[in-house]
Amino acid sequence: MSSSYSVSLAGPAPWGFRLQGGKDFCLPLTISRLTEGGKAVKAGMNTGDIILSINGISSEGMNHLEAQNKIKACTGNLSLTLKRKS
Amino acid sequence: ERLPKPDKGKMRFHKIANVNKALDFICSKGVKLVSIGAEEIVDGNVKMTLGMIWTIILRFAIQDISVEETSAKEGLLLWCQRKTAPYRNVNVQNFHISWKDGLALCALIHRHRPDLIDYSKLRKDDPIGNLNTAFEVAEKFLDIPKMLDAEDIVNTPKPDEKAIMTYVSCFYHAFAGAEQAETAANRICKVLAVNQENEKLMEEYEKLASELLEWIRRTIPWLENRVAEQTMRAMQQKLEDFRDYRRVHKPPRVQEKCQLEINFNTLQTKLRLSNRPAFMPSEGKMVSDIANAWKGLEQVEKGYEEWLLTEIRRLERLDHLAEKFKQKCGMHEAWTAGKEELLSQKDYESASLMEIRALMRKHEAFESDLAAHQDRVEQIAAIAQELNELDYHDAATVNARCQGICDQWDNLGTLTQKRRDALERVEKLWETIDQLYLEFAKRAAPFNNWMDGAMEDLQDMFIVHSIEEIQSLITAHDQFKATLPEADKERMATIGIHNEILKIAQTYGIKLSGINPYTNLSQQDINNKWDTVKHLVPLRDQMLQEEVARQQANERLRRQFAAQANIIGPWIQTKMEEISHVSVDIAGSLEEQMNSLKQYEQNIINYKSNIDKLEGDHQLSQESLIFDNKHTNYSMEHVRVGWEQLLTTIARTINEVENQILTRDAKGISQEQLNEFRASFNHFDRLIPGGYNLCLQKRNGMMDPDDFRACLISMGYDLGEVEFARIMTLVDPNNTGVVTFQAFIDFMTRETAETDTAEQVMASFKILASDKNYITMDELRRELPPEQAEYCISRMTRYVGSDAPTGALDYISFSSALYGESDL
Repeated sequence: MSSSYSVSLAGPAPWGFRLQGGKDFCLPLTISRLTEGGKAVKAGMNTGDIILSINGISSEGMNHLEAQNKIKACTGNLSLTLKRKS
Repeated sequence: ERLPKPDKGKMRFHKIANVNKALDFICSKGVKLVSIGAEEIVDGNVKMTLGMIWTIILRFAIQDISVEETSAKEGLLLWCQRKTAPYRNVNVQNFHISWKDGLALCALIHRHRPDLIDYSKLRKDDPIGNLNTAFEVAEKFLDIPKMLDAEDIVNTPKPDEKAIMTYVSCFYHAFAGAEQAETAANRICKVLAVNQENEKLMEEYEKLASELLEWIRRTIPWLENRVAEQTMRAMQQKLEDFRDYRRVHKPPRVQEKCQLEINFNTLQTKLRLSNRPAFMPSEGKMVSDIANAWKGLEQVEKGYEEWLLTEIRRLERLDHLAEKFKQKCGMHEAWTAGKEELLSQKDYESASLMEIRALMRKHEAFESDLAAHQDRVEQIAAIAQELNELDYHDAATVNARCQGICDQWDNLGTLTQKRRDALERVEKLWETIDQLYLEFAKRAAPFNNWMDGAMEDLQDMFIVHSIEEIQSLITAHDQFKATLPEADKERMATIGIHNEILKIAQTYGIKLSGINPYTNLSQQDINNKWDTVKHLVPLRDQMLQEEVARQQANERLRRQFAAQANIIGPWIQTKMEEISHVSVDIAGSLEEQMNSLKQYEQNIINYKSNIDKLEGDHQLSQESLIFDNKHTNYSMEHVRVGWEQLLTTIARTINEVENQILTRDAKGISQEQLNEFRASFNHFDRLIPGGYNLCLQKRNGMMDPDDFRACLISMGYDLGEVEFARIMTLVDPNNTGVVTFQAFIDFMTRETAETDTAEQVMASFKILASDKNYITMDELRRELPPEQAEYCISRMTRYVGSDAPTGALDYISFSSALYGESDL
């Protein structure tokens, strides 16, 4: 069963993951790739995990660009809640 | 007295009458004949007769005996005792036993008639002998018949008292007669004695009176003596003598006087009582005389005592005054000690102004002190006056000392005034000098500062970097030199002040300490410094000139460097441009470009020596501390940077061309295509503004994203944000912010080669999935190379749909997601 978790990545970028999806793609915002040794992988993120919120803001209804921008806009710590891939 | 004649009858009654006549006579004599009658006597009553005889004896022989107011028996006894008193071995106590040894009788006889008995030969143990001796002598010489019998007395324990009394009374009468004579003689003697005594008293009185008067006569002058002693001690001695006189010497005299009076009174009384005429003392010795003399004495005494006390008080006061005088003189003299010397000092001759002012103040203080002492001197004089008035014994000494003090006082006054005048005079002179000192200081200080400044300036280390700078320094120096004559004038004036001071000091004989209180600068300092300044001026000239030469040399170096740099700089620039043109211009094939570039490379390598030479010139410049060069805009660093950039650029450009060749060959792009791409790229490769960048190029072979976007749009791409973002990630994966030509070409070739869209990818998947909406792992593995298949399998999400088996993968989402990817 899937479970949700939170991470807080210490800034700044790069965070070490590839974001895929968005409303415009009719796909959830997913972690499609993790950079080896990157912050995301160190925080325990896995490929396929779905981003539920970015810095407390729910990612539901975001299109890819919105999500991307939100993440890119973060200069300090990046807080994500994710759902593990089932 | 005669008895009546007896009757001659022999008859009884005649006898009785006679007896009665006798008895009557006895009675008339006062004797009480108790129970004795004439008859009894006539009758021969023995007892009566004896009694009557005894009564008669008693009355007529004994009763009248009176010895010292003791009468009869007692008187007789007393008489016996008195008379035998000298005889030790006789003790008459009674008229019986006491007479037994016969000594009493003998003593009695011997007492009155020592010639009759040799008493010393009598012995107590021969009473009979003694008695008989006494009887015989009495009978023979004293007409006293023997009435007693010796043996009778001795043998009887207690002899008959009456008999003895009778016998002894005969002795009394015998001697008493003699005694009467004796008494008469006594009386006469007594009277005479009284007279004699009176005379004696009178004589005594006279003598005592004389003595007393003499004593008074002697004493009065002593008490009248008013010669004062000099000292209190002597006067006190006198007082002590007086006390002695009053306590020791006078009292006996008082007593004498009293005695005299008493004696006189007694005498007078005695004389009066003994019926003599009153005593009249000799002239001058009368009672009144004595009283007067005594009164006189006492008066003088009182006067003397008063005088003594007055004198003592006087002396006491004198002593006190003399002491006070001494004390005050002593204190005053102590105060004045050394003052005359002090006042005569010439200490102001070599003092500074401050010291003189201090001396003035001290002197003022002294003047007040002196004034304050005025009344002390007056007091001393007053005391001396009083001592004189009171007749002090050593007034001469006092006066001499007082005079000494007064004279000295006057002298002090004079000296004080003199000193004041002198101090004032010197003070004024010093004030003048002080003013001059101040003026000197006021001028010397700034001048000194100026000289210090000048010296500093003349020795100033300068750093100049241009000929203009050194020139201006030379100008300044020349200006300075122009001020020297004025400065010298100032110096002279300042020194002049100093000389004036010396003149004044010399004229008025003031000793200068040589110290100017307002400044440490001496005229010597000023002159020395001036000489130093003068000395430094030519040195400075020399230094400046040397510097000029140096600057000129530097200038030459600069020009040399500049000449070189001005050639090299542009050369590098030109080459950069040329190289960029080569790469950017669309002329010739890539190979031709390559060749050209290689040629440039060689060219550049060959040119290195010029750079080295320039470095050499640069080093010289730097060693000569040349930091700027207006002859050229090119600094060594510019050249270096430019050179490095040139080297880098040529290498990169060559590399680019190499890559382009590779790309071309790899992608099969024709030269025309490449040229087209190049043209588009160049068009949008905008200028970089500003900067003194040596490698300023119109085209640098890079585009920024905006340029790139514009370029794409011009090429007909319809770009949304997401799409463009995607493309950017492709052309600039490292996020450098620029798009290189190479990347551009890559992108373009990719694009021209294939235009993938999400739909096309989906379509492609669909084909592979045999038209299903999902694809299976097997299908992927079957259709795609293993790597791509696994890539898809791992990335694709499970297909959600009722018509799909397990393991079905959603390629649609995947495909779309392919174009919705962001690397974050």
